[in-house]
This record gives sequence, C-alpha cells and structure tokens, in this order.
Amino acid sequence: MISFHPKYTDLQAFSAGNCNTAMALMISAHLDMCQQCHHDCIDIQSELAADLFSLSTPTAPLDSQYLAMMSNITDLPVAKSIVNEAINTSIELDGKYFELPRVLRRHVKNTGNWSRLLGKVWQAPVELGDIGKANFIYMEKGGRVPEHTHRGSEMTLVVDGQYNDGIAEYDCGDFTIMNNQHKHLPHSEADDGCLVFTIVDQPLHFTAGIARLLNPFSHLFFK
Amino acid sequence: MLVGISLETKQINSIKPIECAEEMSGYLRIVASDRCKLSFSKIFSYFAPRLRSYALKQMGNEALAMELVQDTMSNVWQKSHLFNSEKGSPSTWIFTIARNLRFDMLRKQRNRKEDVCSDDLWPILCEQTPDANEVSLDHQVTMDEIGVLLDTLPEKQKLVIEAIYIDGKSQQEVADEFDIPLGTVKSRTRLALQRLKEMLKDDD
Repeated sequence: MISFHPKYTDLQAFSAGNCNTAMALMISAHLDMCQQCHHDCIDIQSELAADLFSLSTPTAPLDSQYLAMMSNITDLPVAKSIVNEAINTSIELDGKYFELPRVLRRHVKNTGNWSRLLGKVWQAPVELGDIGKANFIYMEKGGRVPEHTHRGSEMTLVVDGQYNDGIAEYDCGDFTIMNNQHKHLPHSEADDGCLVFTIVDQPLHFTAGIARLLNPFSHLFFK
Repeated sequence: MLVGISLETKQINSIKPIECAEEMSGYLRIVASDRCKLSFSKIFSYFAPRLRSYALKQMGNEALAMELVQDTMSNVWQKSHLFNSEKGSPSTWIFTIARNLRFDMLRKQRNRKEDVCSDDLWPILCEQTPDANEVSLDHQVTMDEIGVLLDTLPEKQKLVIEAIYIDGKSQQEVADEFDIPLGTVKSRTRLALQRLKEMLKDDD
C-alpha cells in the first residue's frame, strides 16, 4: 500500500515539464507504481492542454511563414515504427532479480557493482551524469543504516519490499524526500529485504554512536 | 493563395471544446489513414498559432519558438497513427509532444549529457511493443520454448508473468486486476523469473 506520494505541486511541475531532472526521474518511476498519482498527472496534463489550446485564445490568420512550414511538414514521410531496444528490465543481487520501474531500466547499464556498505546493507552506484548521485541500496532482512541526517536532500523510492526508519513504515512505491530536518534510521524486517533507489545531493551526516566516526568518510559512500 | 488546399483561418468561437476535440480527433484519424493534407491543415491552423504563444513564453526567442512549433507539428503529421482518442484529447496529446520536445531542447541547449530523455520520463510516443507479426522467426522459436516452460510454473506465478510480459501490463495494473498487493506481484515475478532462468540454464 503506497502512503507517501510526491507533493501535488511537484506533480504539477512534472506534468508541465518544469521540475528538475532528478525529481522528474523519481516522479516518473513513482507513477509507474502508483495509479493514483498517474491519474492525477493525466488530469493535470489535460488541464494544462485545455488552457493552452483554449478556443478563446486570439490568433492571427496564418501568414506565409506558417504556410511554408506546413508544406515542409506534409512532405515528410510517416515515422517508421521503432522497435524498442531490448534492455534489462531488472537488476540482480545474489541471485535475486528485482523488476524496475520503466524509467530506471535504461540506467541498469550504468549501474556499478554491488558493494557491502555496512553489515547487511548493500549499495550499487548509478551513473547519472549531471543529474545527481544516485544509488540502489538493498537492506537484507535485519539490515540497518546507522542513524543519520542529510546536509542536502535525499529522495528515496522504494522499489521492492518494505522498510521502517523510526519515523514511518514504507512500502514499495513510497516516495520520500528527507533533508536536514529529518534524522532517521532505516532498517528492514521484510523477508525479502528492501530495495530502494535514492538520489542525494550532499553526503549523509551520521548522528549517533560509533557511526559518527564515519562522517569524515561519508562522502565515499552514500554519495 | 498559392497552396492548393483551403485553410481554416477564421475563429470558430461558437463550438464547445468537447466538439472541437471530436472534430480534431476525426482529422487525426484521417491523417493517419489517408495522409490527408487537408485534414492536417485543419489541425495545423488550429494548433500551430497557439503553440507559438506557448513556445515563445518557454523558449524566450522567436527562432527557437518556431523550431518547437515545427518539431511538434511534424511529430503530429508523422506519428498521427499513435494518437489514441481513448487515452486523451488531441489537445492533451499535442501538448505532451510539445512539452517533451521542449524538455529535450532545453537540456541540449545547456549541453547536458543525454542520459535522460523526455520519452523515458513521459512515455507517450513510444509504441508499447512491436506487433506480433513483426516478431522474427528466431524470436518466435524462443517464445515457443518459453511458452512450454511457462506452463510448468505454478499457476499464480504463470498468470502474473503472462500479464506482465505478454500483455505488457505494469506491475500495478496486475496488482489491481488480481486484487493482490504490489509486493506480491513483485515476489511472484521474481520467483518465476528465477525459476525460468534456472530451467533455461538446464536446457543448455
């Protein structure tokens, strides 16, 4: 059951094509799993379109520039149908295959190897160029990330399984944004563990116990 | 007038949006089936000037704005067969095309690496899967083999795999259809794929 959705204003910005690329990627992946937000975006799109192409918008008669454009266009052939290239639709860890939301599938080929972060927590970095630092993070059953906060913001989408962070319980499809206001301690008790996709813009900041020793090095992982 | 087709340039204020949508859907269908230039001119004369106002606001310069108008309307002409009136109105379809092209134009302008493109973020113009008759023979053989393997899966896993990989549904759609949690769809898919993979390995 999905309980955490993007804000409505972010869905509006996404539908208009105005949000930043990292957010767009997250929202697109969320929509693949969330019918409710998917329908919201369809409604927002049709409202935007209705405004834009309103009958009452005054328009001048078409001039020669438009006529030339139109005749150039109608000279073009029909688009050939493109056969979608075969891409990996899942990622694998230890013989387990995780199906990914459509928009993330293209990035499987840019995903590095899994490495053990701490105990039962695994991480695979995703190269997204200028968009942000992204990772798949997998918590085995009983796996936990030490309590931390964020210097920047961390967007997280649960791709598979469930986890709890001391603030709430998250199920697959749940989307959250954490910033320096939030201190949390993610752990998973799900039998199949939990796979999340995250994009962070600053290293994490550990807040409790021995894990604080990690802070000087936290940019080496989780980023 | 130079062109051999008449242009609808006057305002038609008396008709309601819903009628306009039906009228434009009709033209799009004719463009798709007959490559009819007259029908396209009706679509073009309604949408192109309105797109220009949008494009000017978004791109901030006349040349780029007209490029966006031209690219959008070219897509309408070339991909009219992909328009599906059950999924939305012509206005919405054309707006989403313009929005996607604008996103890609702006990223290109800023010299961004093309690791994310609009068709991934907002899949509208991609065909879901190639037609069955386009499947090559090799592919067909593998599909037949997999069909046999599919039958050996437990019924519940088989139904989920068929819905996702044969009918092309999303996992959420499958969850809704069978009235089971998304997590269950995921675990059934995972178990089934693991099993299929093992069986294929044994075959080799």
